[in-house]
Amino acid sequence: METFLAQIITGLSIGSILLLVALGLAIIYGTTGVINLAHGEFVMLGAYSAWALQTFLGLGLIESLVLIFLITAAFGWVIEKVVIRHLYRRPLDTILATWGIGVMAQQAIRLSAGGELRYVEMPSALGSSVSVLGVETSAFRIFILLFTAALFGVTWYLMYRTSVGMKLRAITQDREVASCFGINSQRTYSLTFAYGTGLAGLAGALVSPLKSVSPEMGTTYVVDAFMVVVLGGVDSLVGTVVSAAILGELTGFLAFLSNDTIAKALVLLTIVILIRFRPQGLFAARTRT
Amino acid sequence: MKRGTAIQLGTYGIVCLAFLLVPSFVDDAFILNKYARYLVLGILAVALSLSWGYTGILNLGQAMSFGLGSYCMAMVLKLRTVPVHTGKAGLPDFMVWNNVDTLPWFWEPFHSMAFGLFAGIAVPVALAALLGWFVFRGRVTGVYVAIITLATLVVVNLMIIDQQRFTGGFNGITDLAQLEIFGLTFDAYGSSSYYLIAAALTFCLFFALAVTKSKAGLVLQAIRDNENRVRYFGYDVAFFKIFAFSVSAGIAGIAGMLYTIVMEFASPTFLGVQLSLSVVIWCAVGGRQSLLGAALGAIIVTGMQGALSESETFLKTWTLIMGFIFVVVVLFLPKGLAGVVEGLSNRVFGHGDSSKPEPNIVPDSLGAKSEAESLR
Repeated sequence: METFLAQIITGLSIGSILLLVALGLAIIYGTTGVINLAHGEFVMLGAYSAWALQTFLGLGLIESLVLIFLITAAFGWVIEKVVIRHLYRRPLDTILATWGIGVMAQQAIRLSAGGELRYVEMPSALGSSVSVLGVETSAFRIFILLFTAALFGVTWYLMYRTSVGMKLRAITQDREVASCFGINSQRTYSLTFAYGTGLAGLAGALVSPLKSVSPEMGTTYVVDAFMVVVLGGVDSLVGTVVSAAILGELTGFLAFLSNDTIAKALVLLTIVILIRFRPQGLFAARTRT
Repeated sequence: MKRGTAIQLGTYGIVCLAFLLVPSFVDDAFILNKYARYLVLGILAVALSLSWGYTGILNLGQAMSFGLGSYCMAMVLKLRTVPVHTGKAGLPDFMVWNNVDTLPWFWEPFHSMAFGLFAGIAVPVALAALLGWFVFRGRVTGVYVAIITLATLVVVNLMIIDQQRFTGGFNGITDLAQLEIFGLTFDAYGSSSYYLIAAALTFCLFFALAVTKSKAGLVLQAIRDNENRVRYFGYDVAFFKIFAFSVSAGIAGIAGMLYTIVMEFASPTFLGVQLSLSVVIWCAVGGRQSLLGAALGAIIVTGMQGALSESETFLKTWTLIMGFIFVVVVLFLPKGLAGVVEGLSNRVFGHGDSSKPEPNIVPDSLGAKSEAESLR
């Protein structure tokens, strides 16, 4: 029972990190249709921002979160203005352009911050472990879980309870008709992209104390994040949560039963089979096509 | 023969001839080996152009076929070496290090060269046909195909890394013998290998061209432009897609086998996500709707990568430059370099190229919109 509970909690922890990384991607992909392969690099930039703020300004991780969000969001906003906005009519080409951006971002970081591994210190208040239902768990992982839940709440509120969100959903359904109603789709898309990148930056900052920070760290995240988003259903925020939880638990349990590599392979196979039978995702919003 | 086709055949012929003539001008074995490597990657790009540019299947797992072909060749060549530890006809060295006592059953047939060459094409084709059947029979389209192929690639890659005892794991299969067929030895640094690869590129280019010019090839392009309309005409869309997917995998398998010959090893990076995405980039730069364009795209991009990464001034910034070029190409040359050449030749010769089907019959905005919709 004890190990079972421990496994559940490990799975939830993996799932919360998955969701954290995938949330920004889900927003961008689900609404603008941009397949953002540079998402992993945005995560990486967030992690490096955390490292830079800590090393050069002495800011702790928690204090610098807002700044990191703003930095990465600004970066995303610029990318959207310069490159992405010319590609909304050619969604498949966004794969190529964002890949190029990702390559550039990686190399730029390698040149400016160095290619070696960097380490971000865990906030000292969260360095201890707490007991959840009799299972010892790292306080920082619980913090990530709660923070992700909060971020999801904020995102959901923005999407479904604010006018920006309503405009965004209108554009997603039909951009031309929405424009006819006077919605500035260019501006809304810019904001959405910046918000999604900001979320990616936060994700990078939060995972940085758990894993070492390197210019290549984004590559693994972007594949995982895509799996989560596609499995959950592209335009369903709730679906993203559920699929992150499922994939997290599955990875945790399979890794417990065999090893990490086999677990990863089995999870991917599961995803392949699920997509084959439900390409619209597990929780597709019902739309007219 | 129509005039457009004649021009096209002539262009393909001249370029292939140019490739075949390179060894007459290049003496340096190292440089020749480098060029041979670029040509192999050109073949890989032809494979993707056939499935992506002509059929609209964005296969992000093209490296899977490539890697499997490469491993088949490596297995054959490995069994032809004399292992240091176990003597003649013994186990490959990495198996000895991993305490494997007997040769696994799936290694046994690779004692035969003919079987190895056959497997290098048949294994990727069989796997692609199976995956294609699984995916296309379920009418999975668009970005979901991309995700599935990418995930499958990662699965195969992970399995190869995990089964270190039988595959050499991270290190791959190294220390290979040289390929010998019909009394000819193909040294990785000799002109014989280069000729073999240039000939293979020529063959693959013309074979793929023949496929696209056939009636099936026309159906494939119709599927790319509008899948549903083709279905309404009564064609079995899934069958044609599986066909294109498998042929493309076979060509990639050939490329993989040749890559093992020039590189003298097989490694899990040949099935890597990086390489797989790079192939997409090459096709995009060269022009995905042109087989020759895709091949040249691969050769130019990898050639530039090679040249930039070796030069002193660009040692550190070459990836930055490459990334920048990709973004610029995507933004301003959506049809790649082939599109530029086509545009120029149209301007020079007028619209003499009328036999060539317009790639995008649907008005641009409509076409783009339906693409956008199908992605959601």
